[in-house]
Amino acid sequence: MTKETGQSFAAVADLLRGGARLVAVFGSVDDRGRPIVHYIVDSGDYATFSDPVDAPIPSLTPITPAAGWHERELHEVYGVVLDGHPDLRPLMVHNTPRNAPVDGLHGTQTDGPPYRFLEVSGVGVCEVPVGPVHAGIIEPGHFRFSVVGDRVIHLELRHFYTHKGTERLFEGTFVEEGIPIAESVSGDNCFAHAVAYCQAVEHALKIAVPPRAEGIRAVGLELERMLAHVGDFGALCGDVGFNVAAAQGSGLKEILLQASAECVGTRYWRGIGAIGGVRRDISAAGARKLAETVSAVHREFAELAHDALETPSVQDRFENTGILRQQVARDFGTVGLVARASGISADIRRDHPYGAYRGLNIDVPLYHDGDVLARARVRVDETKNSARLIAALLESLPQGPISSSKIDYSRDRKSFSAVESPRGELLYWIETRDTRIARCHIRSPSFQNWPALPQAVIGNIIADFPLINKSFNLSYSGCDR
Amino acid sequence: MISNMLRRSLRGGVQVIPVEQLLGNCSGSRMPDVDPAALTQTLAEKAVLACPTSALSGASPVAERHLTLDYGECIGCGRCIEVAAPAFLEAKSFAYSGVRRDGLVRRWDISANTELISVAASPERVKRQIRSMLGRALNIRQLDAGSCNGCEAEITALTNPHYDLERFGIHFVASPKHADMLLVTGPVTRNMANAVRATFEAVPAPKLVVAVGACGCSGGIFAGASAVAGPVDALLPVDAYIPGCPPTPAMLVTGILKALRQADGMRSSSKNL
Repeated sequence: MTKETGQSFAAVADLLRGGARLVAVFGSVDDRGRPIVHYIVDSGDYATFSDPVDAPIPSLTPITPAAGWHERELHEVYGVVLDGHPDLRPLMVHNTPRNAPVDGLHGTQTDGPPYRFLEVSGVGVCEVPVGPVHAGIIEPGHFRFSVVGDRVIHLELRHFYTHKGTERLFEGTFVEEGIPIAESVSGDNCFAHAVAYCQAVEHALKIAVPPRAEGIRAVGLELERMLAHVGDFGALCGDVGFNVAAAQGSGLKEILLQASAECVGTRYWRGIGAIGGVRRDISAAGARKLAETVSAVHREFAELAHDALETPSVQDRFENTGILRQQVARDFGTVGLVARASGISADIRRDHPYGAYRGLNIDVPLYHDGDVLARARVRVDETKNSARLIAALLESLPQGPISSSKIDYSRDRKSFSAVESPRGELLYWIETRDTRIARCHIRSPSFQNWPALPQAVIGNIIADFPLINKSFNLSYSGCDR
Repeated sequence: MISNMLRRSLRGGVQVIPVEQLLGNCSGSRMPDVDPAALTQTLAEKAVLACPTSALSGASPVAERHLTLDYGECIGCGRCIEVAAPAFLEAKSFAYSGVRRDGLVRRWDISANTELISVAASPERVKRQIRSMLGRALNIRQLDAGSCNGCEAEITALTNPHYDLERFGIHFVASPKHADMLLVTGPVTRNMANAVRATFEAVPAPKLVVAVGACGCSGGIFAGASAVAGPVDALLPVDAYIPGCPPTPAMLVTGILKALRQADGMRSSSKNL
């Protein structure tokens, strides 16, 4: 459903006012170097709109805050002027002149006007800057808290420290060689990124994927979800000082990683995705062993989660902490488990099924409290569902080839694909030109969910921030690209 | 409930992987190895062509029929192994973790079927050396200079009950001021350049810097990307390199211990002078 009209903005605004969800706003350039703005909206079906830009265009942000960061990026990267946008400060490049030579890197960081944070003042208001370097093995990002006593009254994010120019790196590479780049966007869910990229190419170039490859992809995607949730649940326990549970969670995650390495050769399914299929088959014996390990890990994890969530000190810290209200979650267009913990029933596997999920019954857990506990419960339920799906998929992997034999990259096309990554809807939009990628836009779930995080933090004490942040567990690199 | 939790811990038994199984182990990383006996011009050319980074180079008639493999640029994608077996195979053990930058580079004479630079040290020798290092203490500050979080995931795994890095007297500290070693991941992004330098300066001397991952060693897949300043050694003096994309926990343990040993050797030899 692609419409090439001058009426895109009005159509998108109407859909959003009618309750549709904004998925992405981004730019590209046409043959003459003129910017084009693209909108993707979800109103039951995905709808895409694009318009060439010759003059300032109206901003969607006053209609939905979900457009805020998208339009800031559009403005910064493509120079598109957005009328009515409340905040067009640079997002991705920190006081560095664009295209500054690399050898000038010792000086570049101090050029340009200083970034201005919102100033909060009043009796007893204190500002606490945190990051970019954090006290742990964590990605870099900056948090600017305004507190009164221990209470957070305002939080501003300053991210994109890990911005690497990834989307630009895609431009001009052969379509096939985009996969290792996609795998390095967000390293702990690299397989979701590989599959989303490959599917976008497959849609664009009408490449059929053999059923066995689709099955193996779904196994990998569900295993990745289990890895994320089991590890994160343990880490959440660690953040409230429950170290035994944290150690058990990390131990179970390690068992799954070792099983992956044994089954497909890499721990995080890196290098497994391929356009038109997958690069590694799973043997019958390998499938049996993986299924056994997954079910054993799930049994242990279910007990662990039950016991942890019945522990009073855990309940005390998880319950009513970091509440993200449903309306706020909707306004920011949040996706994935963050949305499902705030009463929004959304899951790309069920709502826009792809690959092997087309024939599968997907249970979507739903909680309404929007607190750390709700997000922990979504993780527990989804781990159970993923374990069940892996067993079913491995049980009935179709026979046949694992990759498409004939692929014609020569056609110039554009398309997109979304997958439900462990963090939520992950979307790749690609445009091919002469067997190469002309443009690739990555809308990660983290980019979508980060702006909602401060809304869950305000009103809490600053000591609960690490816990709330962990309960979202957003990727910095996936957001920053 | 807590008693259930403890019971489960006891029931789980000992999970910790013995040090002998960790050192030199690289399974799950898909680092390639080359069998010189099976190496031909055709296979070498195929592998070089398939390599998505410039980890493999040479093999063209003009390049004196030499094949070069730089583990610092290798992302373990496995393409060379797919297209150029049996000359290329998954490495069974790995001695190239925690070495100097030039120690990551191997070279073969294709027509003579021999390796030109001999292997730095046999895994057995590395094991012996490293065993002599155990019982020491080391504080590590991990620094993400712009990585994709893949290396972080594996570094975090070092603290799980299977690897239990603390048994070697090594632990991760929150402040660079408490650290002996900076473990730096990622290509250094321009946006992180200042913070990376400031963190390095906050570590008291003597200090060790170890670059981790293909990106940390060479920029990896992000070499030359528009918002990337360069590999770690573009900004900091790096003492040792741990390649891999990402390096497995076993490669990290090997590399950290070896870097420590190497620094120790350097210090004592400079004292002798």
